[in-house]
Amino acid sequence: MESKILKPILAVYVGLFILFLYGPFIVLSILSFQQGPEGGPQFPIIEWSTYWYQHLFGLTPPSRIAPLPVGEALVRSLTLAFMTMVTATVLGVMAAQAFRKRFRGAGVVFYLIVLGMMVPGVLTGLGTSLLANNVVGIERHWWSTAFLAHVVYTFPFAFLVMLAILNRFDGSVEEASWSLGVSPITTFRKVTFPLIFPGVLSAMLFAFTLSFDEFPRTLFASGRDQTLPLAIYGTFSVEIHPNIFAFGVMTTLFSFALLAVYGILMGLSVRRAKKMAMQEDIA
Amino acid sequence: MTQSDPIFRLEGVTRRYGNLTALNGIDFVAEDNSYIALLGPSGSGKTSLLRVIAGFEAPDTGRIWFQGRDITDLPAHERGIGFVFQNFALFPHLTIFENVAFGLRNGAIKVPDAEIIDRVRASIDMVGLAGLEDRNPDQISGGQKQRVALARSLVMQPKLVLLDEPLGALDANLRERMQTELRTIRERLDVTFLHVTGSETEALAMGDRVAVLDAGRIVQYDTPDAIYDRPIISDVALFLNRFNLFEGTLKDGRFHGPFGAAPVSSVRANDTDVYAIRYDRTRIFDADSSELPGPALPVRYLASEYLGSSIIFLFETADHKTVEVDHHLSLGEPRNLSVGQNYILSWDPAQAIVFGKEAAQ
Amino acid sequence: MSAAIGKRQKATTFQLLAPGVVWMILFLVAPIMMIVYVSFWTQTTFAINSTLTLDSWRNFFASEAYVGALWTTIRLWLIVLTLTFIIGYPAALYVGLMVKSKTVATVLLVLCVIPFWTSFLIRVLAWRPMLGKEGAINIILQKVGLIDTPIEVLLFSELSVIIGMTQIYVVFMVGPIAFMLGRIDRNIIEAARDLGAGFGRIFWKIIFPLSLPGVVVGAIFVSVMVLGEFATSGALSGRKVNLLGNIIVTQVGSLKWAMASVVGVILTILLGIVVAGFLRIVDLKREI
Repeated sequence: MESKILKPILAVYVGLFILFLYGPFIVLSILSFQQGPEGGPQFPIIEWSTYWYQHLFGLTPPSRIAPLPVGEALVRSLTLAFMTMVTATVLGVMAAQAFRKRFRGAGVVFYLIVLGMMVPGVLTGLGTSLLANNVVGIERHWWSTAFLAHVVYTFPFAFLVMLAILNRFDGSVEEASWSLGVSPITTFRKVTFPLIFPGVLSAMLFAFTLSFDEFPRTLFASGRDQTLPLAIYGTFSVEIHPNIFAFGVMTTLFSFALLAVYGILMGLSVRRAKKMAMQEDIA
Repeated sequence: MTQSDPIFRLEGVTRRYGNLTALNGIDFVAEDNSYIALLGPSGSGKTSLLRVIAGFEAPDTGRIWFQGRDITDLPAHERGIGFVFQNFALFPHLTIFENVAFGLRNGAIKVPDAEIIDRVRASIDMVGLAGLEDRNPDQISGGQKQRVALARSLVMQPKLVLLDEPLGALDANLRERMQTELRTIRERLDVTFLHVTGSETEALAMGDRVAVLDAGRIVQYDTPDAIYDRPIISDVALFLNRFNLFEGTLKDGRFHGPFGAAPVSSVRANDTDVYAIRYDRTRIFDADSSELPGPALPVRYLASEYLGSSIIFLFETADHKTVEVDHHLSLGEPRNLSVGQNYILSWDPAQAIVFGKEAAQ
Repeated sequence: MSAAIGKRQKATTFQLLAPGVVWMILFLVAPIMMIVYVSFWTQTTFAINSTLTLDSWRNFFASEAYVGALWTTIRLWLIVLTLTFIIGYPAALYVGLMVKSKTVATVLLVLCVIPFWTSFLIRVLAWRPMLGKEGAINIILQKVGLIDTPIEVLLFSELSVIIGMTQIYVVFMVGPIAFMLGRIDRNIIEAARDLGAGFGRIFWKIIFPLSLPGVVVGAIFVSVMVLGEFATSGALSGRKVNLLGNIIVTQVGSLKWAMASVVGVILTILLGIVVAGFLRIVDLKREI
């Protein structure tokens, strides 16, 4: 059978493919252990050291290399991502709930929402700052104009995730609740929402991640104060040092921790969703 | 609600899904508390009818009255009509106790905690599940889930409970026991059950009255005996799975079918000419018998099925249609038949039911 | 439909959708229309005013550099799209179709996503020490003995931008394709085999057509991201590669909003054609 030959070949291919994906990360991890402060962000490794990690936390003697301007930017990014996550998820859940019944104009609304993920950040950012400057006459800030653009970008993702979840949701428990005299709003609170919560969690994680690392929209719509990606971008034109790589490794580990938390929360909620699925199987 | 108001009433109810008409102008009156079975093959619209009464779907035309009130425009949660689902629809994230208590806890009217506990306990006891209150739905069996669903609806003290193929997911043994229990519970509680099923044996066994649904219309509403003895159209006879049905022509007071011509005394109006005789009224004779009670149908013996209290003999006619004879064992020992042998089936023509395009004579 | 219930349902649907729809109209549609509008504004040295003119448009098409950027953008987009498809499809085939256990498939997909936890910009930067004359790739190739002198063209060229973009965006191809392949009922393939079809036939007649919606979604994702790109080309090409995105950024940098808007409109039209074209191939709403 062909798949006997094909499968191992593809398996090797996927192995190489994953290596290809991790290439940059592997390289920057290695280089983050470059000797400092003289070592540069290129090979060869002069001497292995954790200098740049210490430099990140301000634990090294002052040198001519300025620390990364990330402190406040990090806080802004976290706040912005959190605001975006909440707003985008709420909008996404509401919109997906509306799509459970057929209605006129559903196609238009669907594409209007999905449009948000199809327009590149360059354009959204440009348009938003044009509007802010010339029509509305407001200043651009990370918590106003950039926030609006972030939600435009992440709302469609949250919407699609919730749409997929609600599609597979068996509505008979909601009908059972109504037949017991419980209003639709209370039914949503007490029955629907607990059962779709894993999906909501996914949508939230998605929205948070997309907003945290968002760059082009924020570049245009952000105004004076910078978010994290903007701060990093700022170092592009100046000399680059391995501290940026050390920073990259640290943020990756942070994301890993975030995902671990998410995984735990999911595990708790998935048990409930499994019970739901078991009921479907019987019917 | 006055004494004379029917429990519920449907007038001209129609429900379409695109090109498909599931309910075609249904008129129906349910007079008083009873066990009503709604019988129909799949696709007949029976689940649609239930969902329209419950308020999960709205009819395209028509009105629905419940206890004298027009509830057509009321949302489902304001109707006060219970619903038991085929897949039970228990809340997986709540215990059995909380499942049953759900309506009391979250409804429009505030019910004091003590009363909730009492009523829930009583309801769980009534369905025989005392002791399982703290379990989760995934820790109990199918039959137990069905009882929880029932208790959950009944604790709200509705006047009407809709059951959508409630026994469909249970195995045969359990099904029979639940049939008896459902009847017992209903009688105790003075509530009307509208029980939808595709199984004619279930409908005839459970209903005080049976409504037969065919292609979106209620074609007959009567006691099980009446339906069984006097199906109103040939489709009902077909669906009951108790009749041998023969196509043919009705002319001049005689029906011409594969058994020759048989005399006909009365004819029921029908779209086509159909001759029907019950399985248990069809009798077996040797191929060379001369003393026959009625028409002679030449057949070949195929096989038999033992059903406990009766035996079904399966025969094949010359044009390869299957004919069944039901021999109830209380009537005596069954004949010993040889497979592949020719026999003759006959019956008393007075016991036959004839359907015809011209309701003649 | 009973009138009262129908009206009530419509009101609920409206309430649920209104905030999201209004948000998108105000903060997505309006900005885009603003770009179109401003592209016709008059540009003075550091400011714009709303007198309408075609000047900026004329300047765009008159300039070789700008029009060149348009072609470069299209060319790079096609190359990266093709590469992500060629590289990504076999990986998606393996993950979506050949991996039997769902856990392994999820693990593989998570493995593909993990690199994204490192900030996009830092990952772009990491390509420099990979592609340079003394970069990781050259070092490895020389150690292995495949080349004698380092390949110079890897960095600060169009090739480096292509490599960088392909590597970063290929996952967006793999994901949707693997998803669609995973939804294929194995029994269909079994049945086809029983009927004597070889793998080639099975692939072209069954597997590929069923994966097409995923290919389209992946192509749309990649196209949207590549066409709007400027950071990768900025960091890896040493100013040699100018994409439409780069022009917008530099024009905005010198406050030439009108020209930036012109380029924005052209980018929008380009994107619109591409996405509309892809959506003709498959009706996406059905797949959700």
